Amino acid sequence: MKVSERWLREWTNPDLDTQALAELLSLTGLEVDGVEPVAPAFDQVVVGVVTSVDKHPDADKLNVTQVDVGEDAPLQIVCGAPNVVAGMKACCAKVGATLPGDFKIKKAKLRGVPSHGMLCGATELGLPDDGSGGLMVLPEDAPVGEDVRRYLALDDQVIDIDLTPNRADCLSVAGLSRDLAAMANTAWKQPFEMVQLEGQGACPQAVTVSEPSACPKYLGCLYQDFDAEAQTPLWMKQRLERGGVSPKALIVDVTNYVMLELGQPLHAFDADRLQGTVDVRLAVADETLVTLEDKDITLSPNTLVIADDQGPLALAGIMGGRDSAVHDGTQRVFFESAHFTPQAIIGQARRYGLHTDASHRFERGVDPALPEVALNRVKQLLQSIAGGRFSEQVACVDSAQLSAPVTIAMRPALINQRLGTQISPMTMHAILERLQFAVSGGEADDVWQVTSPSWRFDMQIEADLMEEIGRIHGYNQLPETPVTAPMRLPHVPETEQEMSLLRRALVQRGYYEVITYSFISEEQHRQITPDVTPLMLQNPISDDMKAMRASLLPGLLSTLGYNQARQQSRIRLFESGRVFIPHGDQLQQIDRLGGALTGLAQPRGWEGQDRPLDFYDLKGDVETLLSMNGMLDQVRFVATDTETLHPGQSAEIYRGDQCIGYLGQLHPKLTNELDLNGRIFVFELELDALREKPLPQAETISRYPAVQRDLAFVMPVQQPVQSIKEAIALVPTDWLRQVEVFDVYQGEGLAADEKSVALSLHMQRVDRTLEDAEVETLVQSVIQKVAETAGARLRDDAH
Amino acid sequence: MQDSLNQLVEEAKGAIEAVEDLAELDQIRVRFLGKKGALTAMMKTLGQLPPEEKPKAGQKINEAKQQVQALLGERKQRMQDQKLARQLASESLDVTLPGRDCDLGHVHPVTQTLQRIEAIFAKAGFDIETGPEVEDDWHNFEALNIPETHPARAMHDTFYFDAQTLLRTHTSGVQIRTMENRKPPMRVIAPGRVYRCDSDQTHTPMFHQVEGLIIESDATFAQLRTLIIEFLRQFFEDESLKVRFRPSYFPFTEPSAEVDISTQLFGDGRWIEVLGCGMVHPNVLKNVEIDAQDYTGLAFGLGVERLAMLRYGVRDLRQFFENDLRFLKQF
Repeated sequence: MKVSERWLREWTNPDLDTQALAELLSLTGLEVDGVEPVAPAFDQVVVGVVTSVDKHPDADKLNVTQVDVGEDAPLQIVCGAPNVVAGMKACCAKVGATLPGDFKIKKAKLRGVPSHGMLCGATELGLPDDGSGGLMVLPEDAPVGEDVRRYLALDDQVIDIDLTPNRADCLSVAGLSRDLAAMANTAWKQPFEMVQLEGQGACPQAVTVSEPSACPKYLGCLYQDFDAEAQTPLWMKQRLERGGVSPKALIVDVTNYVMLELGQPLHAFDADRLQGTVDVRLAVADETLVTLEDKDITLSPNTLVIADDQGPLALAGIMGGRDSAVHDGTQRVFFESAHFTPQAIIGQARRYGLHTDASHRFERGVDPALPEVALNRVKQLLQSIAGGRFSEQVACVDSAQLSAPVTIAMRPALINQRLGTQISPMTMHAILERLQFAVSGGEADDVWQVTSPSWRFDMQIEADLMEEIGRIHGYNQLPETPVTAPMRLPHVPETEQEMSLLRRALVQRGYYEVITYSFISEEQHRQITPDVTPLMLQNPISDDMKAMRASLLPGLLSTLGYNQARQQSRIRLFESGRVFIPHGDQLQQIDRLGGALTGLAQPRGWEGQDRPLDFYDLKGDVETLLSMNGMLDQVRFVATDTETLHPGQSAEIYRGDQCIGYLGQLHPKLTNELDLNGRIFVFELELDALREKPLPQAETISRYPAVQRDLAFVMPVQQPVQSIKEAIALVPTDWLRQVEVFDVYQGEGLAADEKSVALSLHMQRVDRTLEDAEVETLVQSVIQKVAETAGARLRDDAH
Repeated sequence: MQDSLNQLVEEAKGAIEAVEDLAELDQIRVRFLGKKGALTAMMKTLGQLPPEEKPKAGQKINEAKQQVQALLGERKQRMQDQKLARQLASESLDVTLPGRDCDLGHVHPVTQTLQRIEAIFAKAGFDIETGPEVEDDWHNFEALNIPETHPARAMHDTFYFDAQTLLRTHTSGVQIRTMENRKPPMRVIAPGRVYRCDSDQTHTPMFHQVEGLIIESDATFAQLRTLIIEFLRQFFEDESLKVRFRPSYFPFTEPSAEVDISTQLFGDGRWIEVLGCGMVHPNVLKNVEIDAQDYTGLAFGLGVERLAMLRYGVRDLRQFFENDLRFLKQF
């Protein structure tokens, strides 16, 4: 909400400069977003009347004017503005004046004609363009010689206040100043005297309210015989503009002015366009309305409308309709001043894509006592500006439906206990009275009955009063007291791998952590996870951010592409985050750790030894992660064939029969499709599998010598080495400690479709030194088992 | 005899100086000190001397042998030193060339900030809790005292999947889950991703929050303020950091406050909003069946990116999610 500082100070005037006032508003809970002067600095600009205009003898576009600024003699001023005419009133900068931009006005000759000042346009004074296309035109009654700053009240600031939704009572100058006065402990006074205006004659417009729960109070009156030529006074226009409302015409301006002043939205209908009875009712299906903004809308049945016998006239509490609106030729006006409940208005404006000053207020709640006051204020203002006659008031009020002031039982001792303060009961009493609460109870009473004023319908429970007392007492006055609680030692699970260590391990291997959006395009979702039905947002920001990711790869790959496009060639990225996989009605939200990498295996060196990354570099990284919780021994890498990965360079990782991740080269087709360069390697692991960590259980270290035997087997090229290891695992022994692959060979001495795999068997007993015979027996059983189960033969030239 | 000894020593000296390698040096040793060497031969002539002269002559010969021995030893050492020096010279490297495979990555600045926040609170005994990102209406709104018709819903710009399912707009829902699952007292923080349907220069549709919650029998608003001030001073490592509490509004806390900081470290001493906090609203406690007469709750929620931006001088929020390596490398 925007408000003129001067206007605010008319209601309450703390002895503070603008900045301190803004700070105090913020500390009151009325957060100041900004303070803008209404005009930049300038001086010696006065109201002048142009008494004559003559063509400049030597310049087509210039005029020589005489301007009366209330001094002994008129000033001769050469003026280039196209709209200058004799008799007009304009802003005149005298010689010696300084205009915005430190522009000094001096005596000058323009094409030989002396000029003693300057007639100004709005923008030359740093004011908003008034659309005059030249000089700013001042009203005819502007007093000649008056300082323009004073006349236009330009020594003023617009304070922009960001109100929280609970403080609907502050959506007016009256409300803001009321709260400010309570905080500043200054007097709060309505700056005008409200005179109760009696209506003349019954209101000819019949009104009924079919939905009293939505509209418990509806007041109206008819206005006629007024001066249709009357204009909105300058001061009112200024306050409207400074309040962020564009002035339109008198009737509408006055309703808006009263809304800014008191907080009650009002509506003015052209009474001659109303047919029959005005009814506040719910819309019927398929009814339509053309709004003030010329927008055609089809109404939903639960929308509250103001209607006459012909149909809807206005969206209640939101916006009027075009056809019943007041216009230049309006002779008779029907004013509406009603109370609509928040429940009736909430969500309605948004449904029709509207947000108005009225809906903003009614959604949050308006003081139910205001309609009478506001209608009277409208009458008072219009009477003084345009004369005319008001009818008596027509009123539909259902008191039972109006929210009654709430009385709350409050325990001063509890307030102090919860706030952690020692505010005396009398101080609390004073604070509540400053806020215009009615308090019954005193120093001696443990429990007070506190009744809130009609505008503080946000007060419901004791904690609300606690906030009020804390706020006005001053949050920043609270004593510094640390939280005290019994010391409890924390639970430190040792069987849980810390995420930070996994992250650290990747960072030490050259990976950069990235954080990418959890939503991606449908296309990305399909490319990477074609088998998963995407979880789709109903209201995405854009089509690119529509589907919840089912894999970390889309984000990683687009980040990889982003960096490739920025001339990075060696890229190693990882992300830890959640993926979303729907299974029928159930949604799995799974934490994963994923990576994408490309470029050289190691940072470029100067020895000419650089080589590109390959599958086994990637696998080493993944194995490092799997080793961190001692799981590497328990997992199997199984070659896979999926659409996203290179069919010959990809594997799924299994622990038991559970797949805990995959790794491999991105399918070259996909690399191409995604506009990525080079070979891209990726991995993704379930974080839960990495997090579980068994508690280590120490085993005896053997004191006896170990024996090593090397064997080489010949097997088909396509057969995985894993098959040999699995065969060896079937040999019953508890002293074959380790089987290590140390060479894989293809070529001379072997058939084209064969490879040789050399293994080291490490054997060691805990209880004694191994004997040659038992070693030999074990080696033979290994050879036999490998031959039987894996179909690999011992290579002849081995040993 | 003395003359011939001196002559032999001189002769050996000359020969030793002239050698070029260790083999030659050994030949010289044999020539003078070997079984058939010149000085050994001299020793053999001792027998021909009268007995009274023998000891003295023997001593002289020994002295000469020792002299030659010393010359040989010294020469050998010198040759070894020279050889090593040549080897070392040949092995000399340009120490200014970079080392091999220095390859360290970087942790994302948002993660670093999260870790820092977690560390500060964990050391004070806060447990770390997490919750789902796809959340239901109850945990994100209803249980937090934000009913369907509440105007605060409009402040949240929620992403929806259907009427009851949404992307969490804050980590406050973890408050509810934690209170549902644990018995008070408790102190927890809940870090995580949150989502709002808003995107411009100062908003990204996804960002990170840390929610904090204390439930104790006698927690006070003054304690909350003290805790927040301490946290901010520790986080920014600035004891003179100014902290201001401003009354504000969150449906799930009462009283509520927004917190501004002002420091000479950044922002020219302007007040900068950093977090929101308050005492848990009695309705919220009721929703999770905690008796508001027995317990009070303190809660706060802070934006991680905001703190990271202030701490590291990041000017554009969107950089966090562009993940330009040149940006990430700085942290």
